[in-house]
Amino acid sequence: MTTFLTFTILGLVLGSVYAIAASGLVLTYNTSGIFNFAHGAQAMLGTFLYWQLSVGWGLPVWLSLLLVVGVFGPLMGLLLHKLIMGALRDTAEVAKIVVTVAVMLGMVYLSQWIWDPVEPRTLTMFFGSDASVEIAGVVVRLHEILCLAVALAIALGLRMLFHRTRVGVVMRGTVDSPDLLRLNGHDPARVAAISWALGSALAVLAGILITPVSGGSLEANALTLLVIDAFAAAMFGRLRNIPPAFVGAMVLGLLGAYVTAYFPSDWTWTGNFRVSLPMILLFIVIVVLPQDRLRGAATRTRERYRVPSVRAAATWGLVLLGIVFLYSLLLADSGITTLGLGMAFAIIALSLTLLTGYAGEMNLAPMSFAAIATVIVFHFGITGSGLDASLNLPGIALAVVATAVVGGLVALPALRLRGLYLALATLAFGALLSNMVLRDTVEHTLAGFTFTLFPDGTLIIPKPRFGPVDLGDPLTFLLVATALFALIALGLAVLRNSGYGRRLAAMKDSPAATAMLGQNLVKLKLSVFMLSAAIAGLGGILMSSAMGSVEGESFGLMASLALVMLVVVGGIGYISGALFGGVMSGIGFTLLVGTFNDLAISQPQAATFFELLGNVVMVGTALVGMGVGKNPSGSVQGIMDGYRSLREARPVLIGGAALVAVLYALALAGLYGSWTFTLLALVVVMALPAVGQKLMPHAVAPVEGHGHSDEIRDDEPFTDTLRDRLDLALGLPARVPGVRAAAPQKGEEVNAPA
Amino acid sequence: MSTQTGAPGAAVEAEQRTPVLELVGARAGYGAIQVLHGVDLAVHPGSVVALLGPNGGGKSTTMKVCTGLLPLNGGELRLAGRRVNGLSAQEIAKLGVCAIPEGRGVFPNLTVRENLWIATGTGTDLKKLEEVAYGRFPILGERRNQLAGSMSGGEQQMLALSRALATDPAVLLLDELSMGLAPMIVSQMYETVAELVAGGLSVLVAEQFARVVLPIADTAALMLHGRIVDTGTPDEIEGRLSSEYLGG
Repeated sequence: MTTFLTFTILGLVLGSVYAIAASGLVLTYNTSGIFNFAHGAQAMLGTFLYWQLSVGWGLPVWLSLLLVVGVFGPLMGLLLHKLIMGALRDTAEVAKIVVTVAVMLGMVYLSQWIWDPVEPRTLTMFFGSDASVEIAGVVVRLHEILCLAVALAIALGLRMLFHRTRVGVVMRGTVDSPDLLRLNGHDPARVAAISWALGSALAVLAGILITPVSGGSLEANALTLLVIDAFAAAMFGRLRNIPPAFVGAMVLGLLGAYVTAYFPSDWTWTGNFRVSLPMILLFIVIVVLPQDRLRGAATRTRERYRVPSVRAAATWGLVLLGIVFLYSLLLADSGITTLGLGMAFAIIALSLTLLTGYAGEMNLAPMSFAAIATVIVFHFGITGSGLDASLNLPGIALAVVATAVVGGLVALPALRLRGLYLALATLAFGALLSNMVLRDTVEHTLAGFTFTLFPDGTLIIPKPRFGPVDLGDPLTFLLVATALFALIALGLAVLRNSGYGRRLAAMKDSPAATAMLGQNLVKLKLSVFMLSAAIAGLGGILMSSAMGSVEGESFGLMASLALVMLVVVGGIGYISGALFGGVMSGIGFTLLVGTFNDLAISQPQAATFFELLGNVVMVGTALVGMGVGKNPSGSVQGIMDGYRSLREARPVLIGGAALVAVLYALALAGLYGSWTFTLLALVVVMALPAVGQKLMPHAVAPVEGHGHSDEIRDDEPFTDTLRDRLDLALGLPARVPGVRAAAPQKGEEVNAPA
Repeated sequence: MSTQTGAPGAAVEAEQRTPVLELVGARAGYGAIQVLHGVDLAVHPGSVVALLGPNGGGKSTTMKVCTGLLPLNGGELRLAGRRVNGLSAQEIAKLGVCAIPEGRGVFPNLTVRENLWIATGTGTDLKKLEEVAYGRFPILGERRNQLAGSMSGGEQQMLALSRALATDPAVLLLDELSMGLAPMIVSQMYETVAELVAGGLSVLVAEQFARVVLPIADTAALMLHGRIVDTGTPDEIEGRLSSEYLGG
């Protein structure tokens, strides 16, 4: 009985902290329509600051609390609201998600920059961990009572706010119609700003309260993910209502406590199950709760993607292979290995191009599929042992097929889901996999088989070898990986141009219309999920073997989210975006940070500078991600479009190419290193469009871009030329000039009865 | 303004004064689609202007432009002679433009009383709003704690109109008041509008069904393809309506 009571109280305490975090999340989502993935990171940052003030600088507890919860929290919320909201109008769900994901990653990097993660930090309970009272034979700490009291006060306070104050009623009105609010003289943006401030303060408060309860040690990733658990609670109220979110939070807290208390301790997976519980619940709640019905109207967004042509994909694939080969001649073996790793990441990124870019479905855990394939290939695909070990083709094929099947199994319950709900379901799956499989380092016996899923927490994955082709050689590996990337990209281009690809595009634009045209949405979704999982699996195997040894962390949520963010920044609808995102997350992060650290070690006098530079790169990447709302179609294609205008300016193009060739030759001759060459070549390539404008202004056609209707400004008068451009963009037959001349009065054609 | 030419009675007197609300060469659209191609329209103090025309003619867009929900990309919006292009919808609302949008102008998930509370955003206090609303529509008083979305369409429209009754606006914009309502309820609604007009309120009303609105209008304007194609007294317009509609 005492056990039951003890754990009930523990569960309620955890539940109350989840409730505080969840209510903040629901608040911001409702008033601004943006699901704040950075909620946990905000809690984390606030908690670190609180530690700095109260422990680090020894300020009184009350003052630290006041500064962090009362000042820093709200200010952080207001700032985020300002940064995020303006850019996110009319963007697709994926851009909305990526922006707050970028904020989250940025905050995690920022905290690791300010507070060196190597140094341990702990937060103790308020009133100390000994201050307790005994209730019905159960010892309850004052801190725990405080958590319960605060949650209760917040529940009551929010109820008062929403029903007894005008600003609260207006906040609820935002859910129904922001426009009607404006007609009544209210400013929805101001209301949203207030709720962001409040939500942010609640996040910070939850972080400070939960840290001592869950062990007391401050760790940026763990603390961020801890509050992500509150997503499950928020989902109980379908992200709309706070009271059910409180109920959900209590269920979450109590279940967790009872699992700890009553699951047999000899069940090896109890601990991992306990940690995954919120994500399991999140998945179940999303799948079980009634969803919004398919809406008929297609959503209007600013994203525009051109359909890739098969010929261009083939040509660019060969060009890529050539460039990579030439570039590899400049690199040392370690550089070649890193570039190969980048290519492996780019293949994983291609799975997102297919799934999100072409089919409009979301997956926030691409690395999980990479992990599944890796685990399978580790168990079934290794021939030989020791230094002679290699991956064999049947093993790789088995792993890829199995990953596709798992992808289908994951998609099956999630078939009805779209947009944010699907994103959260995949996030839950990713977290579940990291916790249950990738931390599963102990031996199990099941039906006579003894196995360990992830022995020792590290898997040693050798390089593949197919007959005479040994990928153990870094250059061979790089070239094979690049060729695979080019082949899959070509396959995707063929796919996109086929009937199947058009059906995917139709499903992306309007599922309702696609269903009404007689398409089987279930078949489409399931197949595209399986295909995408297979691609991610293949990339994952390459990635793991490029790294040599992988840990659970390599496939964690943070890695997945960073990859998704970089691919969206590059342009998720384009193969070039996948290349950019993959290479950036594969080598960008490890190489840049690694290089800077190496430089710091070799040049101790400038160590702080290089460390700073490394941190700036990390935070800067997140800042780029936050800017994605401004250019939701991605940046790489925008840069490519700059070159389209150079087509007529041959001399400029040839000159640029010659210059790069000379730079390359000098680098090859050993005049400078590969880094210098990379920088110089990038400068030349980037500057080319501008140079073209300067030197040959007549040849360089004005950047007309895609001829999308989007590029016609709202204030442009509706002239015949404009009409022709629209017709061209829409693929309508050109008008006969005579007819146009006969109808000089604009608008007359529309008015005249047929 | 030329739109008022030939309008007798109140409108002619009003001609001398500055219009409460005026559009001059207004252009607006959604993205690449231009909807209004230069609309001239004036609502003079105390007059009722009916904006008629078929679906897709630009009536609702004109209303949105007048409320500030949709920015102009050409021409001018004037309130009492003052250029207000670029002001936000909430600022325009505070200047005395009361708009009841297409569909139901209420918050379905808030109670009747909370709906009225939100209507205090333009400066009227809640007490007065409740008094006026429950006085004119007793049923709203009975249902003050009921969710607006659970009431009948007519009751919801009453709630929306209460705002116009109690907040004492300078001009009232009504967009498709009749939409989705039974004919009897529609005439009740327009009775209320007529009362407001008798009290001296200026009204711009967009309506697909000319018959219900022409009796209370001083001026009628016919809108086709984003332009005002005909303006006149309700009688004149009614006579020409069928030929305009059928393109004869």
